[in-house]
Amino acid sequence: MTSKRVWIKRLAFLSVVAMLVAACGGSDNDTTTTAAQDSPATTAATETTAATETTAATETTAATETTAATETTAAATGVVTISPAESIPTTFLPKCTNIPVFPQANDGAVEAAGELGSEEAAFVGPADCGDATGQIDFMANAVTQGVAAIMVSNNAGDELAPSAQAAADAGIPVVSWDSPIPSAEGESVFIAQVDFDETGTVMADMALEILGEDGGQFAVLSATPEAANQNAWIAAMEEVLAGPDYADLDLVDTVYGNDVAEDSLNQALALVDSYPDLELIMAPTTVGIVAAAQALTQEGLCDEVKVSGLGLPDEMREYTLSGCAPQFALWSFQDLGYLAYYVAYGLATGQIEAVEGQSFVAGRMGEYTIEADPTRDAGLRVLMGPFSVYDETNVGG
Amino acid sequence: MRSWIRSHRWESLLALILIATIVGNTIMAPVYLGVGNIVNLFWLSIEKIIVAVAMAFVIINGEIDLSVASVMGFSAAVLATLHENAVVPFGIAIIIALVVAALAGLIQGLAVTKLGIPSLVVTLAGLIGFRGAARVLLEDGSVGDFPEWFDRLGQRTLVGPLPFGLILFLVLLALGWFVLERTAFGRKVYVTGNNPAVAKYSGINVEWLKLRLLVMSAVVAGVAGILFAARLGSVRGSLAEFYELDIITMVLLGGVSIFGGSGSMLGVALAMFTVLNIRNGMGLANVDGIIQTGVVGTLLIGSALVPNVIQRFRVRFPTVGRYEPDAAEP
Repeated sequence: MTSKRVWIKRLAFLSVVAMLVAACGGSDNDTTTTAAQDSPATTAATETTAATETTAATETTAATETTAATETTAAATGVVTISPAESIPTTFLPKCTNIPVFPQANDGAVEAAGELGSEEAAFVGPADCGDATGQIDFMANAVTQGVAAIMVSNNAGDELAPSAQAAADAGIPVVSWDSPIPSAEGESVFIAQVDFDETGTVMADMALEILGEDGGQFAVLSATPEAANQNAWIAAMEEVLAGPDYADLDLVDTVYGNDVAEDSLNQALALVDSYPDLELIMAPTTVGIVAAAQALTQEGLCDEVKVSGLGLPDEMREYTLSGCAPQFALWSFQDLGYLAYYVAYGLATGQIEAVEGQSFVAGRMGEYTIEADPTRDAGLRVLMGPFSVYDETNVGG
Repeated sequence: MRSWIRSHRWESLLALILIATIVGNTIMAPVYLGVGNIVNLFWLSIEKIIVAVAMAFVIINGEIDLSVASVMGFSAAVLATLHENAVVPFGIAIIIALVVAALAGLIQGLAVTKLGIPSLVVTLAGLIGFRGAARVLLEDGSVGDFPEWFDRLGQRTLVGPLPFGLILFLVLLALGWFVLERTAFGRKVYVTGNNPAVAKYSGINVEWLKLRLLVMSAVVAGVAGILFAARLGSVRGSLAEFYELDIITMVLLGGVSIFGGSGSMLGVALAMFTVLNIRNGMGLANVDGIIQTGVVGTLLIGSALVPNVIQRFRVRFPTVGRYEPDAAEP
């Protein structure tokens, strides 16, 4: 960057010299002047008949400069490599702070901030995931603090939209990750961990695999009834279940453990009590799946009822090895936080724009493109992917 | 001044804590003192503090209303259901929702006054029942897309930097102070809270008084619920869940005795401001939610313990000014 500036200074100086020379030389070379109106540097090079070595060198550089400039312009529509600019204050707002996946996501954001030479985002959020509207306060505080960007995993539905809109009105990009704002109001872009439709397919396939050819009854144990991501996944799964291959899978109920361990455990037990023929609990939340596996293990019911869904390998290992939770799936939350930070940083520093078709390179994770979110009526997304399905062969031990 | 402090020890202590909080916040976060932030600080908890004003009356009167948060959710759910099914114009729907809240208060009030069941039990049933009703109405879904003027009322400023809710709160607070401490009605609330039997024999219609207060509490809760719906832009069955805890603790922190008969609107106001400022300061200083809850919780435990400890201490050691620390505990 510095060398570029130095060159510009030199070019400016030379062009002044060249103009002086031209003024002295009179108007005996009109054609060249006209041809060289593009840039002073070129004028300098062509007009100066008494071309010295320096001028020749300048000409080459001028050419290079022009090419470089063109490249930068092209990059706005092409692929931008998000690179260190300035250090910016940001807020990384999870659904709550007491579930392991969210600190993991924050680790990714911290890693990204380090690479970009920016200060770490403030990692703050409600103490309890059962508090669906608690994020509003944190959002408002971030706006008051005047942060450069907010990264949020929405724990409510559109209840967060007014505060996100307030942030947007204050010129603060709001990047949602993990769970979007359904109406996309106030949201710049959503970093989707996996394709929400794919989540439905993956869950339906795991259910089919576990229940076998003859099918059977299963139930969903979700997070809060408000959670936009879980609701979308369940809806996607129900769509897949309508297909002929899944005709024997009978989804009997959907219950909510509020992403609180105790509630989830009780809900899992209640499911087993209410549906004597239940063979599987599908929990699309890392809290619910562990609670369900724990409940069934404690009650000695693992032979009759299995558990599956989205879980953390660290937490699920023992239940997968014991056969209680034969299969589960997940993506890397650290990568998700990393990518969210890169996008937020890119937006806040003006390197990228939240528009469809914007491509960028986010550090170690490579190239992504902002696209219209097909899972919502409005809004943009960046799709991270992919899914990892874990079973006893790859869960580690 | 000195005599005021002597007769308002608790309020003075709260004022000191509040001042310390304000000073601390200003030092920690320069943005704290901005008009926008001060408005925000109230606005983010506006529903709770509105209900707390009415709750102060109920508790001073010697009763309690645990159902407020559920009534908030219920009235908002009624509004949302009417809106979703487009049964009546939105303005009428608001009135119906408020009437429903009043009826909720009336049922509870009658159970307390006519059946003689303690309000703790009646409103506990209300807490469960009205929350259940809200959930039945809305199931697991949310209802939004309210008229724009309604969202605007909850989300935008009305006069200068003040949103409608904050204006309503300030009016209610002033009105609450006036009625409680400057009118005959207020005196009756205190006297009844102190000793219902004495109140009865002095010619106060205790039942009528309690009934009116419980209905008023429910109506205010209904208003707050509707306001919350406007602020969020949508309603769920879980709206304002567990808010009764924060509301009651703010009133108690304000120096209102849980046994009734004492407390002041000034104390309650100071308690609200203190809690909100501490929360806001911690929020701006990026203190984690877990610690925020812990700090406010500690403050509330302290507020419940300290007056009682002082009281016991006084009873035990009447010559309080001259006691020797060594003799304090055997």
